Amino acid sequence: MVGLLAQVLVSGLAIGAIYALIATGFSLLWQGSQTVNFAQGDFVVVPAFVMLGVRGLGLPLWVGVLAALVVSALVLGLLFKRVLVDPMLKHGSLQLAIATMALSIVIQNGLLDVAGGEAFPFPGINGGIDWGQIFLDWQSLIVLAVAVAAVTALNLFLGRTRTGRAIQASAQNPQVAVLLGIDVARMILITFLINAALVTLAALLISPIYLVKFNNGIGIGLSAFSAAIVGGFNQVRGAVVGGLVLGVTETFAATFGPDQWRDAVPMLLLILFVLFRPEGILGRREERRV
Amino acid sequence: MATDPSPILVLDNVTGGYGRMTILNGCSFAVARAAITTVIGPNGAGKSTCFKAVFGLLRLTGGRILLDGTDVTGAAPRALIAAGVCYVPQGRNIFPELSVRDNLELGGVALGSAGAMRPKVEAALDRFPILRQRASSQASTLSGGQQKLLEIARGLIAAPKLMLIDEPSIGLSPLMVKEVFATLQGLRASGVSILMVEQNARSALEISDFGIVLETGRTRLTGTARAILDDPRVARLFLGADVELD
Repeated sequence: MVGLLAQVLVSGLAIGAIYALIATGFSLLWQGSQTVNFAQGDFVVVPAFVMLGVRGLGLPLWVGVLAALVVSALVLGLLFKRVLVDPMLKHGSLQLAIATMALSIVIQNGLLDVAGGEAFPFPGINGGIDWGQIFLDWQSLIVLAVAVAAVTALNLFLGRTRTGRAIQASAQNPQVAVLLGIDVARMILITFLINAALVTLAALLISPIYLVKFNNGIGIGLSAFSAAIVGGFNQVRGAVVGGLVLGVTETFAATFGPDQWRDAVPMLLLILFVLFRPEGILGRREERRV
Repeated sequence: MATDPSPILVLDNVTGGYGRMTILNGCSFAVARAAITTVIGPNGAGKSTCFKAVFGLLRLTGGRILLDGTDVTGAAPRALIAAGVCYVPQGRNIFPELSVRDNLELGGVALGSAGAMRPKVEAALDRFPILRQRASSQASTLSGGQQKLLEIARGLIAAPKLMLIDEPSIGLSPLMVKEVFATLQGLRASGVSILMVEQNARSALEISDFGIVLETGRTRLTGTARAILDDPRVARLFLGADVELD
């Protein structure tokens, strides 16, 4: 029993750490440019397909990862911002949120058209550590380590470097950031590029577990969205806590209950938090200026 | 004090506004060095707009702005900071989630690396002991008055010659207003020129050297603060002489 609990906990934390990556990007986009990206889950699937595609050409995985990074930065970062976010945000963030839902549908159907509806396997890592009673798989441990390292690095970048602080300042008070000579537009663009990098990393980590399928983004997006809400929508640290909570709860529910519970957990947590603690675990209440 | 008689800032017949709406209709005045100059006037007179015009945030349709004799009309905030101007706008201007120290460091973000700013941040913390006590706290946990001091301290990181400060007393307790005003007087003593807009016109003029009265985007009156305070028309129109309670 202890062995099973440890294993479920570690794989829950691993999944949760991936959600944390995705939710962090989600939350950064919201803070940096009032973008609620309902296509965030699909943003994870796109680089996964790029990696598979490059691999299909017989090239090694790292080439695929590089290609996916470039495609993500250009398409999910730059193009997404210029073509969808910038024009739509002028009409309001709700209008933009709806446009991202449309984008989600476009991405899914585009992928279905190009790649078909099957779930493609993705190379992962086999084996694990066997301590008799407790078996921990390498896949989960490495995912956990990489995701934690990435989130830590991002937090150090945001908190300790001049550019990172300027990004935070631009998100928290853009008008004043301008007065201090910060190039706010550039900081927002960097935020979109960070998000593109985060979803690419998430794609690399989650695909061996969930496989690669055109509509995987629905579940991933819902989980990441819930993670951001549960942790605190307006805080990067919140997204991390929310992701871990969600990953562990989901995995426990799926292990000890019927399998469908996995999908119900994010929805359930989302509803409970929106009802009883809308600011999330770490979040603060938004000030609304009239 | 050995005074350079040339003004630090000159607005010369400045016109401009937002979109098609003109707010400044030929606003002209000069700001003296190492002095406090307060702009007063009714709502909509263009007081804050003047500041935005100086700080390159308003598209001007005419006129010139001279800083230290150099034409800075239409210069971007970054260039103005480098030239020695800082702008503390009305309301809350802190970065709430960042620490007090990080907020201060951002005051010099346009000028150099975080490392280069560190001694200046330390100097600012020495100057404002209350901020040193709270240096690692999130700025949002400061009181309103402390936040205003933080904004002023942040402005000082770039070692400005001229500080534009808009309604510093708004929303502060009388005690805090006193402290903020005392801080501005301290800055003047160290040679910083201050141009202030203040709703609380009487108190502001009492610590000022000069006053400027704006009305409908034009300069109505300029003079020493004393002369403005004593002017019966000004008193009736802007200083609430008829409804004076104290």
